[in-house]
Amino acid sequence: MIFRFGVAGDLTAPSEDRLTVGDPRIVDFLAKLARKLLTPALARRHPELGSLGYFLRPAELRRAVARMQRDDALVFPRGTVFHLPPANVDTIFVYSWALSALAGNHNVVRISTRAAGAAEAIFDALNAVDADPVIARTQRMVTYGRDDAITAALSRWADLRVIWGGDAAVDAIRRHPLRPSARDLTFPDRTSWAVLSVPGWRAADPAARRAAVTGFANDAYWFDQAACSSPRTVFLIGDGDLDAVRREFLDLLLDVVDQRGWTVDAAMAVEKRVHAYGLAATGAATAVSFPDNRITALTLTGSDQVPRRWIGAGAFPFAHAGSLLDLVPAMTRQDQTVSHFGFTPAELGEFATALGGRGVDRIVPFGSALTFGAIWDGYDLPAEFTRLTTLQT
Amino acid sequence: MSVFTLPQVDKEAVLLPQLADLTKHHRANCEPYDRILAASGFAEAADLSALPWLPVRLFKTLELKSIPDDEVFKVLTSSGTTGDVSRIYLDKAAAAEQQRRLAATVQTVLGPKRLPMLLVDTKAMLKDRRSFSARGAGVLGMSTFGRDHVWALDLDGRVDLAAIRGFLDQHGDQPFLIFGFTFLVWLHLYEVARDHGLDLSNGILIHSGGWKKLVDQAVSPAEFRSRLAGVGLTAVHNYYGMVEQIGTIFLEGPDGGALYCPDFADVIIRDPETWAELPPGKPGLIEVISTLPTSYPGHVLLTEDLGVVHGIDDGAWPGKRFSVLGRLPRAEARGCSDTYREAS
Repeated sequence: MIFRFGVAGDLTAPSEDRLTVGDPRIVDFLAKLARKLLTPALARRHPELGSLGYFLRPAELRRAVARMQRDDALVFPRGTVFHLPPANVDTIFVYSWALSALAGNHNVVRISTRAAGAAEAIFDALNAVDADPVIARTQRMVTYGRDDAITAALSRWADLRVIWGGDAAVDAIRRHPLRPSARDLTFPDRTSWAVLSVPGWRAADPAARRAAVTGFANDAYWFDQAACSSPRTVFLIGDGDLDAVRREFLDLLLDVVDQRGWTVDAAMAVEKRVHAYGLAATGAATAVSFPDNRITALTLTGSDQVPRRWIGAGAFPFAHAGSLLDLVPAMTRQDQTVSHFGFTPAELGEFATALGGRGVDRIVPFGSALTFGAIWDGYDLPAEFTRLTTLQT
Repeated sequence: MSVFTLPQVDKEAVLLPQLADLTKHHRANCEPYDRILAASGFAEAADLSALPWLPVRLFKTLELKSIPDDEVFKVLTSSGTTGDVSRIYLDKAAAAEQQRRLAATVQTVLGPKRLPMLLVDTKAMLKDRRSFSARGAGVLGMSTFGRDHVWALDLDGRVDLAAIRGFLDQHGDQPFLIFGFTFLVWLHLYEVARDHGLDLSNGILIHSGGWKKLVDQAVSPAEFRSRLAGVGLTAVHNYYGMVEQIGTIFLEGPDGGALYCPDFADVIIRDPETWAELPPGKPGLIEVISTLPTSYPGHVLLTEDLGVVHGIDDGAWPGKRFSVLGRLPRAEARGCSDTYREAS
């Protein structure tokens, strides 16, 4: 076992250390970490660290702590938390760990052997912070291989187990029992969408259209379109010249991709062909076009044909619907984020209400799909990481 | 009779109408294939490079066949890197034709008569259903071109020196055929012949399989050839082929160092950025073209192998001279969703 952060030793041993909700030592530590992550050189190399640093600023931390407070109960840390973040999203482990630490929990985070790039920069930053010794004793990040014995022991130790990484990971980890009083917080396979109002697009001026596509490009390309909240299918909503809107959208997208200098490697380009041809072969798509190696555009036969699998970086199936409400029957519990452009708040409100919680957890503007929030996947994370004691006198 | 006869211009003139007809044939008989071509807007091709190619991996995810179910005579499978399996459907005519063309291709270097054959493999491998699909099919397919077969490895996969010696005592003074996977030949034949002074000078070696293990040991194709020459083995023919284009093999010429296309097949190297055909000297993805696939739409396939054409009509045989450079490294997307299946 490799200790990436924290004191090496028995992870499940009882501890004398006690942290509180919003413990000043943790707040201080996270604020210092934020400063390290926000240094211009680092943020330039790994733009996602910029967003993470922003999330960890003192003002944000205070807001998160405030969300944990209640008038009707005393709020305490949940206890011990075992985190199993996704293998390869370099920053997500910090978000869930940081919120849990802020709630005063003792945490063990299992870091994938595949973690690289931005994750390494994060460990450097974590280990460089001048911290109270209690931090290293209560917050540990470790890497170990496929060792069921360790996973089982940590599962028995935890009051809360946080499992990311999709359905298969959740099923595999759940073979290891928790204590009767403990529970799981799971982040299974998710699909996310983009919705674009055709009349809204028409009404927007060129600058607004370009800004929208820039936001969409960040949402889609930052994690190779594979983050759970990355938009996959684009729904064109409403009536008008759909082809013209789509053409302009794709032209602008290619422009942004060019400006950023993003590339798609050969294997990914082949991957996209395999999936795109697969959708054509089964009749789900009627047109497949490759305006550029970095963009694969497909025309779906209907909004009921949307693929829920990842197709590749820069693969955009397009479907049409008359109104947002027409999408409601197609949305499922697997669906997480809908990023939007060109709709009125009333239209979005009506859509959210009609969904009725049966699908879609987040409705956000283009450019915000990847922005992590304390409410995620339908959970109020600060509430999940704490426990309540009521006192009647 | 050689199947390596056509200069490039003549070959393209012969192949283009046949492949255009095949494309029409498969569109008419394989609905998913027709849908793919319709969705990508394909009408017709003015030259070989404009023919619509399918990624070879598509045979792992889709059932693609141009024959009715009751005419399926054989289903070939290949194990893939991701655990998915390609399924190739042959009817009786296609199965016979691929065997006939394979025979014609290897007879170019073996002559018309069946030769005594040393198989650098273990018979036990045929029993293992898992490895059978890939390795076993290769060995079985090639074994029909030899006689008096002897396995160079025993049932536990160890070198059977007595068997090899027995084979050479009986057949070593006349031409004989050696077949095996490249890495096994290196490890279990070359090194044994070197250490025990075996005389392989009448052998004709046909070998295939990835070079990766050998490259890891710093053995290049040129080094492989020259070291084999050191044990007398100078008739050495590497080949490149795949189950998705069964019956078509691209064979190393007598001068060594490059593969050639039989008259009914060709290769195109594509730029993975622009997908345009690349000129000789520029490495890219290998597209394999063959007129043999009549029962499934596998006549124009984009492989995930990298290769380079060295020259055209300038080698021992006419047509394109090319090398396989290795596998395209697989991309890993970064994501938290269903692309990641790490269990614990």
